[in-house]
Amino acid sequence: MSEIRSTRAPGPRGRVPISDNDHAPARPRSQSRWKTWGPALLFLLPAIVGLLVFRLIPIGWAFALSFTNWRIFNDIEWVGLANYAHILTSPVSREVLGNTLWFTAMYVPGVMVVSVTLAVLLNNSLRSSAFFRGAFFLPYITATVAVTLAWRWIFSTRFGLLNHLLAQVDIDRIAWLADPAWALPAVAIVSVWKDAGFYMILLIAGLQTIDPGVYEAARIDGARAFRRFYAITLPLLSRSLFFVLILALVRSTQTFEITYALTNGGPNRASTTLAFYIYQNAFVHFEMGYASALAYVLCFVIGLITLLNFHLRRRWVHE
Amino acid sequence: MSDTLRRAPALIALYVVLLAYACVTLMPFAWMLITSFKESRDVFRLPPSFVPTLLYGPDPLANYTEVLTQHDFLLYFRNSFFVSTMAALGQVATCALAGYAFARMELPGKNAIFALILATAFVPTEVTIIPEFLLMRQLGWIDSFLPLIVPSFLVGSFGTFMLREYFASLPAEYGEAARIDGAGPWRIFWRIYLPLARPALISIFVIAFINNWDELLRPLLYLNSPELRTVPLGLMRFVGEFEAEWTLLMAGSVASTLPLILIYVLGQKYVLQGFAGGGVKG
Repeated sequence: MSEIRSTRAPGPRGRVPISDNDHAPARPRSQSRWKTWGPALLFLLPAIVGLLVFRLIPIGWAFALSFTNWRIFNDIEWVGLANYAHILTSPVSREVLGNTLWFTAMYVPGVMVVSVTLAVLLNNSLRSSAFFRGAFFLPYITATVAVTLAWRWIFSTRFGLLNHLLAQVDIDRIAWLADPAWALPAVAIVSVWKDAGFYMILLIAGLQTIDPGVYEAARIDGARAFRRFYAITLPLLSRSLFFVLILALVRSTQTFEITYALTNGGPNRASTTLAFYIYQNAFVHFEMGYASALAYVLCFVIGLITLLNFHLRRRWVHE
Repeated sequence: MSDTLRRAPALIALYVVLLAYACVTLMPFAWMLITSFKESRDVFRLPPSFVPTLLYGPDPLANYTEVLTQHDFLLYFRNSFFVSTMAALGQVATCALAGYAFARMELPGKNAIFALILATAFVPTEVTIIPEFLLMRQLGWIDSFLPLIVPSFLVGSFGTFMLREYFASLPAEYGEAARIDGAGPWRIFWRIYLPLARPALISIFVIAFINNWDELLRPLLYLNSPELRTVPLGLMRFVGEFEAEWTLLMAGSVASTLPLILIYVLGQKYVLQGFAGGGVKG
């Protein structure tokens, strides 16, 4: 995904000098063109229909809706920028945006530290590494709702496993899911637990492209483990790190299933982040216009993250 | 050998860290499993016990049989299997056709179409889901499996990207040779290139199956009838009704992760390759 190779289709202009015109020199040009274009169009038809119906048209439609106050059961009324103005001024949406930022601030460093550590530790030829890799990746591929419900049970204040374990080290009971201060960190804990293994896999793939000879040379020169990590691994891994950072930032704005199954956005709005607030507005309160505007704010934020990253990339990434 | 001995302390430290984190990732699964084999009165006991009491009784699978038969989870499993299989098969078909055409066929503007497919993959679901919901309402597809299958069937940016790369990496000579022998574009695709792409097709199928099995938002929006519920939706509705029945709930959760763990173990190679290649959902 990190790079799109240019793959020119070896068509009639390829090495073998055969073109349709050689077979049928008498036919008009346009007809023979359609002989190659026709099948290509048929092959692409499902993808083009999907692109139009489930991507392009909805993207435009949602943009138009974001300037209306449509609630499904009223007439559509054009309200200009009112929805966007409301998002910027309303205390509720500000709280939600603040929550989103706080969640990102917990999730992104969390997954980066865990996944980089695991990837570096597992990038070796030990036979047991395959087992650990499998164990660490397991949370990512298992059913989100099921494991989140398991966590909900673990977080239970009175009978939960986590508070019981914390009690062993003299930490008082925390009302993880009922305390407004802890609900969002709880969502972040589950999210980091679930996703870190995925980023780890991406980073291991990146680490495997580093030539082992570089480490050998550094070791001969007397570089210690920390220095090897800092001077070799980090710069040579910067491409993968950068890709993982973008993915993690984007994902941190989109949490839905875990929030829904763990806290349902509560208590009150304490764990409601932007993506969940969009869902509530659109499909609980049927505020389609306002929800579309919120969705476009989310889209704008994601676009901004990506642009900013590409701008900073030149300084960070060692090509 | 002496080198290994010299590095023994580092190796021990490595294993301590790895084992500690393995405990963190596996603990929720273990706790889920233990709870699913407890009697419901054992759940609210302090301190929490790690003994799966049912295993010592006459009917160790009591929670599982109750959840699967009396709470309709068997039906939810059938629904999830049907939806995930159809959606994943469709996605493989659409991605294979499109990926092949992008890599091997001529069409003016195809690169622009490909760029659009990739670029729109980064638009969050939250933007497209509202018009999609309105469209499904217009089509009268609400409360059927169609809204869960058709969008996944037709849209697969990651799969299209992956298969385009894959088909482009296969030698062009095979197709040229078949063409000289008089094979048409469909035959070349179906008989020569598609079988060669099997590893990529399998990993796209597995990833699409997992993603669809995991989907919560669309079932939540589109399904009303209890008999249409998928497993994640069934679990959520179950929590809503029987909040404190943790033993049954954990049995249902274990059962719902088993198919994914099975698929993962069987196709681990394909899954890891697939996810390492990008793993963007959709």
